[in-house]
Amino acid sequence: MDLNTSLSVSATGLRAQSLRMRVIAENLANQDSVAKTPGGDPYRRQVVNFSAELDRANGGTGVKVDGVDTDKSSFERVYDPGSPAADASGYVLKPNVNGLLEAADMKAAQRSYEANLSAIEAARNLTMRTIDLLK
Amino acid sequence: MSLGALDAARAYGRSIGGLGNSGGGLGGLGKTDTGNKTTGFGGMVEDMVTGTANQLRAAEKASALQVAGKGDLIDVVTAMGAAETALDTMVAVRDRVVSAYSDIMRLQI
Repeated sequence: MDLNTSLSVSATGLRAQSLRMRVIAENLANQDSVAKTPGGDPYRRQVVNFSAELDRANGGTGVKVDGVDTDKSSFERVYDPGSPAADASGYVLKPNVNGLLEAADMKAAQRSYEANLSAIEAARNLTMRTIDLLK
Repeated sequence: MSLGALDAARAYGRSIGGLGNSGGGLGGLGKTDTGNKTTGFGGMVEDMVTGTANQLRAAEKASALQVAGKGDLIDVVTAMGAAETALDTMVAVRDRVVSAYSDIMRLQI
């Protein structure tokens, strides 16, 4: 039934958005993580890529996580000679995570998750009301 | 009074004759009906019951995994939703069939 298909499509959306949420949480948790070795690279921001995928079992086009890539933008250099991650000239590379950007991304992920939840709820309501016709 | 009854009888005979001439009509329906009455309806009920049981089993498995801390909440929700829909559909169809059956049993013979 098509309503079942829409349920499973929405479920792929929930899964994708929860992974995105996890990656955002990782970014936020690591926004101050510096390198373990002097002069090394700190934590690199991660981004999730989504793509559409046709589920041949039910004919619905769900969303699939294409992979988690790293953000290629450059790191910020901060002068902090006391840090164990400082290089020979006393500079430390900071992660390329921007808290504001992550907060906005988090909001988007949250909204998208909620939209999928609403779609599931609507599809279920319709199914139940259709069954009620039999009663 | 008698004329009216005669007219009705003639009309009835005509309509029966017409059905018979058109072939297929009533005869064909009766044939298919008696042909797969037991396998058709019984098979449908069996399919519905096994399908519902399978979905309930899947939902139970998903929720057991979730309780054990190894499952996915989304899996539980979708499996439960599918099982609930299947069960509700089956119950509604059963209620319909049972009420139709008791309607037939209540018929005056």
